[in-house]
Amino acid sequence: MKSFLTLFKNELKLNIRNMNMVIFAVIMPLIVLLILGFLNGIRPAADGVNYTFMEQSFGALCTISICAGGLMGLPLVVSEYRERKILKRFQVTPVRPIKLLAVELSIYIIYCLVSMLTLIPVAMIFWKVTIHGSWLAFLGSWLLTMISTLSIGMMVGGIAKNSRSASVIASLLYFPMLIFSGTTLPFEVMPEGLQRIVIVFPITQGIQLMKATFLGLAVDNAVLPFIVMGTITMLCTGISIKYFRWE
Amino acid sequence: MDEVIKVDKLTKTYGNLLAVDNVSLSVKRGTVFGLLGANGAGKSTTIECILGTKQADKGQVSILGYNPQKDRRKLFQKVGVQFQECDYQPEIKVSELCEETACLYKTPADWRELCSQFGIGNKTKTAVKSLSGGERQRLFIVLALIPNPEVVFLDELTTGLDAKTRRDVWKILSDLKKKGLSIFLTSHFMDEVEVLCDEICILKKGKVVFYGTVEESKVVSGSNNFEDAYLILSGEEVDGA
Repeated sequence: MKSFLTLFKNELKLNIRNMNMVIFAVIMPLIVLLILGFLNGIRPAADGVNYTFMEQSFGALCTISICAGGLMGLPLVVSEYRERKILKRFQVTPVRPIKLLAVELSIYIIYCLVSMLTLIPVAMIFWKVTIHGSWLAFLGSWLLTMISTLSIGMMVGGIAKNSRSASVIASLLYFPMLIFSGTTLPFEVMPEGLQRIVIVFPITQGIQLMKATFLGLAVDNAVLPFIVMGTITMLCTGISIKYFRWE
Repeated sequence: MDEVIKVDKLTKTYGNLLAVDNVSLSVKRGTVFGLLGANGAGKSTTIECILGTKQADKGQVSILGYNPQKDRRKLFQKVGVQFQECDYQPEIKVSELCEETACLYKTPADWRELCSQFGIGNKTKTAVKSLSGGERQRLFIVLALIPNPEVVFLDELTTGLDAKTRRDVWKILSDLKKKGLSIFLTSHFMDEVEVLCDEICILKKGKVVFYGTVEESKVVSGSNNFEDAYLILSGEEVDGA
């Protein structure tokens, strides 16, 4: 446990020093929040509903950091450490691979948490965003979305040949998910054809679930998101541990 | 004296290239063993197969009685390694790299003390990438000694160091040897090998062409000077001589 904490502390420092994730996972979601806030104010999401557009979008805003960490940060850091032979140096020490993966995973969980904790007060203070559903259900959905997305990142970092291919795969996952899953562009404004395609993204499922739990809407098909995200988490975590390579 | 490293008929090929060819060797506790040979003779591959970071095609390896691949976590509590090509996290500082290494061991050495022993005690707050080549090389020797190892592997240990620093490093290693540390090293500097090594093994194209003490190598090659002996035995100069 002591070694986990020391590794965690040092790796977190290094990650913050690098600034990429501070920008993409903490500052960017805030900027998107501000833009959406100034554009939409406190108007209702649609005629006759009792929640605002901002409340409807809040869950999606929380997934920007999840996308950034899981689909950019985590795969790149794991593959870079392998390519630079940093993992090889760890190979000739007693550390378990799973501990190294857990350290990196925890760092991105921290980013997602920090991002959410900055979004909540800003949204509440400036645009009177309040939760209509239950915090517990919302946080549960957030956790599931985050873990499933981060596990994808761990798998990509684990199986990519080098950091270049990891970066290509990461971009192929990151940008479509960021744009079309409802993270930045609300799912509702997309054409129906596109909606049908992006519904298979785990993060789309996550956002739908987070939205429903935040707004207190009836979740008509709660089982599907659970199955999609749960399967992905187990599959990706399993693959990234089984196929872990030091070099 | 017991054997700390035992290698039996180690063989490794890359495609058609026979990188390590039927190499057997053994290192006794508290001695320094030098693996020599020209660039590309198979030294690093041999080390990696011994450590288990590369899979040998054939042969048996045991370090401190452990199988390096099966007992990796137990073995590397007691073994320190400095690879020829080391890398580190881009922005990491000396203190962070040492701390991160030390935390992995049950009974690590005091890394601050090691750093000052190796003359980089005042550099602990510096970024590793800002160190000079020689300082970085010394840092990587420090990292290999942090485990308080029983056996240490040093691949090209003093490459990039100036004359004075090389002597300092020899002195530290000799002292550690007196305390019972076993050292497995590769080097291109024959003065260093002559000072430090109890036994040497010279590789040529993956094959052992000489195995014995420095003095024996002089006798076998009929040369008074060890560097000449090495060149003759490794076949780097003899062609036509």
